[in-house]
Amino acid sequence: MGFGMQSMLKEGHKHLSGLDEAVLKNIDACKQLSTITRTSLGPNGMNKMVINHLDKLFVTNDAATIVNELEVQHPAAKILVLASKAQQEEIGDGANLTISFAGELLQAAEELIRMGLHPSEIISGYTKAVNKTVEILDELVEEGSENMDVRDKEQVISRMRAAVASKQFGQEDTLCSLIADACIQVCPKNPVNFNVDNVRVAKLVGGGLHNSAVVPGMVLRTDAVGTMKYIEKAKVAVFVGGVDTSATETKGTVLIHSAEQLENYSKTEEAKVEELIKAVADSGAKVIVSGAAVGEMALHFCERYKLMVLKISSKFELRRFCRTTGSVAMLKLCQPKPDDLGYVDSVSVEEIGGARVTIVKNEVDGNSVATVVLRGSTDSILDDLERAVDDGVNTYKAMCRDSRIVPGAAATEIELAKRVKDFSFQETGLDQYAIAKFAESFEMIPRTLAENAGLNAMEIISSLYAEHASGNTKVGIDLEPGVCKDVSTMRVWDLHVTKLFALKYAADAACTVLRVDQIIMSKPAGGPRRDQPAPGMDED
Amino acid sequence: MSSMLQPQIILLKEGTDTSQGKPQLVSNINACTAVADVVRTTLGPRGMDKLIHDDKGSVTISNDGATIMKLLDIVHPAAKILVDIAKSQDSEVGDGTTTVVLLAAEFLREAKPFIEDGVHSQNLIRSYRTACSLAIEKIKELAVSIEGKSIEEKKTLLGKCAATTLSSKLIGGEKEFFASMVVDAVIAIGTDDRLNMIGIKKVPGGNMRDSFLVNGVAFKKTFSYAGFEQQPKKFLNPKILLLNVELELKSEKENAEIRLSDPSQYQSIVDAEWNIIYDKLDKCVQSGAKVVLSRLAIGDLATQYFADRDIFCAGRVAEEDLKRVAAATGGTVQTSVNNIIDEVLGTCEIFEEKQVGNERFNIFNGCPSGQTATIVLRGGADQFIEEAERSLHDAIMIVRRAMKNSTVVAGGGAIDMEISRYLRQHARTIAGKSQLFINSYAKALEVIPRQLCDNAGFDATDVLNKLRQKHALPSGEGAPYGVDIATGGIADSFANFVWEPAVVKINAINAATEAACLVLSVDETVKNPKSESAQGEAAASAMGGRGRGGGFRGRGRGMRR
Repeated sequence: MGFGMQSMLKEGHKHLSGLDEAVLKNIDACKQLSTITRTSLGPNGMNKMVINHLDKLFVTNDAATIVNELEVQHPAAKILVLASKAQQEEIGDGANLTISFAGELLQAAEELIRMGLHPSEIISGYTKAVNKTVEILDELVEEGSENMDVRDKEQVISRMRAAVASKQFGQEDTLCSLIADACIQVCPKNPVNFNVDNVRVAKLVGGGLHNSAVVPGMVLRTDAVGTMKYIEKAKVAVFVGGVDTSATETKGTVLIHSAEQLENYSKTEEAKVEELIKAVADSGAKVIVSGAAVGEMALHFCERYKLMVLKISSKFELRRFCRTTGSVAMLKLCQPKPDDLGYVDSVSVEEIGGARVTIVKNEVDGNSVATVVLRGSTDSILDDLERAVDDGVNTYKAMCRDSRIVPGAAATEIELAKRVKDFSFQETGLDQYAIAKFAESFEMIPRTLAENAGLNAMEIISSLYAEHASGNTKVGIDLEPGVCKDVSTMRVWDLHVTKLFALKYAADAACTVLRVDQIIMSKPAGGPRRDQPAPGMDED
Repeated sequence: MSSMLQPQIILLKEGTDTSQGKPQLVSNINACTAVADVVRTTLGPRGMDKLIHDDKGSVTISNDGATIMKLLDIVHPAAKILVDIAKSQDSEVGDGTTTVVLLAAEFLREAKPFIEDGVHSQNLIRSYRTACSLAIEKIKELAVSIEGKSIEEKKTLLGKCAATTLSSKLIGGEKEFFASMVVDAVIAIGTDDRLNMIGIKKVPGGNMRDSFLVNGVAFKKTFSYAGFEQQPKKFLNPKILLLNVELELKSEKENAEIRLSDPSQYQSIVDAEWNIIYDKLDKCVQSGAKVVLSRLAIGDLATQYFADRDIFCAGRVAEEDLKRVAAATGGTVQTSVNNIIDEVLGTCEIFEEKQVGNERFNIFNGCPSGQTATIVLRGGADQFIEEAERSLHDAIMIVRRAMKNSTVVAGGGAIDMEISRYLRQHARTIAGKSQLFINSYAKALEVIPRQLCDNAGFDATDVLNKLRQKHALPSGEGAPYGVDIATGGIADSFANFVWEPAVVKINAINAATEAACLVLSVDETVKNPKSESAQGEAAASAMGGRGRGGGFRGRGRGMRR
């Protein structure tokens, strides 16, 4: 067979097929990937230091970031990465659960294959199991949680806590209240339209987390251009094209014919700029925001008319600024119409931790942008805090759509494990083994949580099973003292939708990996690899 | 080919370097302690300076932790975190950079035996965080407020803070002299929080005592054309015009061109050009200004013109200086000479040009808005003045923070000993593993007084025991006792005016704990090979950097033995 294949393809291709070569190898690769992320699962998860190809250092336990920067090459492992990315995009949290669970499923599949099951039987078993899981998950939803007030801080925090705690354990209370404040502030009338882009994060080195705050409005990391540094209750005019004398795009030369023309040439230009700036000042605007360069002459007149000048070069930032202030961006420097002017409560330049920032505040009528100002001692801490905030904000978005919650702290997983196991006994075919393994795979979560917290995993799992068997379906692990406890007393809740998608994507990814029985890799383009390592060196 | 058919599982790109687990954690800790060993000896009044010679051949002598860390060019990813916290301390409070690095490394060093014994690092982290918040609360409790004092009293109090910072620096010998200078400068700029309004000018020559404070702005005389000699060099209450205009005979615009059909018109064009410049000069004179400064060039024609009319002018003034003059004198920088109203002119009590060393200086004294101050530093060698500037920067930051937050604590290791005692006491009330961890945290805090003693050549164990005894007194009267550098014993730091702003300590402990927790929480490092684009530029530095990194580790190991 190999011979035929070889004669068919160009020399240098790789071709792998069959159970041993393809399926088991694929499973092995996925397992390796999940062992990397697994230790980061849960509140006591460890951080990873990842140095990416651009030499940037990440210190994080956010699985989405880790796998993103890892540059996974193995084709099968890439499927897992894609599943986690799908989860990250859909929900914005729970990426680690996806990878770790998929890895666990595949490990179980390997055992089944060694037992003699065919991958297709495993797949059908897994598919049945995941459908059952979805059903059970719906039953496990905490009663009364489907109705929530997304503007109630308490309710928001209770749903967000677990997601944030898994990133920044011990600091979740501070962070959650910051995130909740910011989210509630920008939440539109119809919460489904909540846009994550409206919660900004400004990272400023120095101080500590307790110095962090939420600013209603924006924080720009630039200084004001002119000498006006503070203004209150002002109208804003936004110009995209820069505040300067208009110059022609085409290269041209002004021809001067007489002495007067020469003398008047610069005067007319000056007069023109003054006229324009005066027009803006007359319209009532007190702040000019420019999307491009601010000419010296224009600045001179802005100072004369006591206008504050800000420069925002990023187009996205400018758009957000317009959203915050409710102004319409004008292309050219001209007299703005009253409708085009925006309004700010205050614009001020402040020094925070050695950096000068411009704080644009707008507190009236449900402003649309809020900024979480994060403080921390190093860049990597700040980056990690930012990821935690991102996850929190994404969770908020998810709960705006579907606010149902399930017990966290591995309580749901143990219950799922128990019920899916029961379900497997009712099946008659060979796939009951696959379903049983699927159920066992849920144990991975309490096991990892316990292991990462330095507890005895076996003890915990067995006592969890005992509790659940006696009907306490909401008993999970309390990591602080290391015992089993009812989650409703600990207030650890996960969003139903996060768990649902994570488990679904994980099962899908596992099935996809199992379906593959041949890998054909064509010869990589280009010349010979420069950094070919010695064979056998790269397995460790 | 057969080996190709049975490949190892290549999960990650070739050349990717992964390391994980406990050894990884221990090696990170080792790297951090090695880095801290470098700055360790710079702590305190008797700390030694470091001479750093970089690959470009420039030499820096410094005692400032942040400066040293920045120049060290550390490549180890974990040790880089220490550099970051030093920078963060520098930008947030300005001083205490050595302290923060030392504390972080000491926390890690204390954690190492636990890690080796198999304690899960999350347990350590949790205890460290608790200890950190306890320590910060204790500092806040112990801090003494200087709020509500009269300005004179406040001045002396702030002076003490500045003196404490300066005593650990190269210019420590003249600390009173500089401390009062720094306090005056900071009070001059007032509550408006703008550091760039304090200028520091360096003039080699003379000695430190020749340094002086200008209540206004001073800058080095700019390049001048002929005619400058005739200009008056001293004014009382002059009006000052600040320009962003070129006063030179020059083509008006780049894109203008003159075409003449009638050659007789040629003279008129030439005249017109002269008219333009004369017109500008006239307008400057008419404004009534006696001092004209411009960011752009002032040519020889203009220089002569002004000299004839008893006006002082200076062209090509650095933008920073010009802004400072604007803020000090209350003027605004003009981009056009048309329509100069009185409002935009500034003024000051005395303007003069003075000889300082072998440089001429333009000095604006007694400015009305008084938001600026300039310190003119004198001293022997270049490196000496550089270091003096850094020291003054630290002192200025300290005084600013002290003014803003207005609480101080006892220095000289007193506050560290007191927190350490408090934490030990607190630890006894805890059951379980975290008692040990908080104890070790408390022990790590003692590194500050211990290092102070070591650097001064005292018997650290002896002094520390005395301190412990004092701090353990149940009455609590021993709380302000710290190391006495003068006698080698212990003394009441508070009574001896060894003071530090509380915010420095709070930030240092916070940042050090955060960094230590971050290092402890890492159990795996994955290093991807550099991509093509990054490879080119980084290749050279990576080679040098790696060599140096290797040397580091080797040295660290040798020192710890």
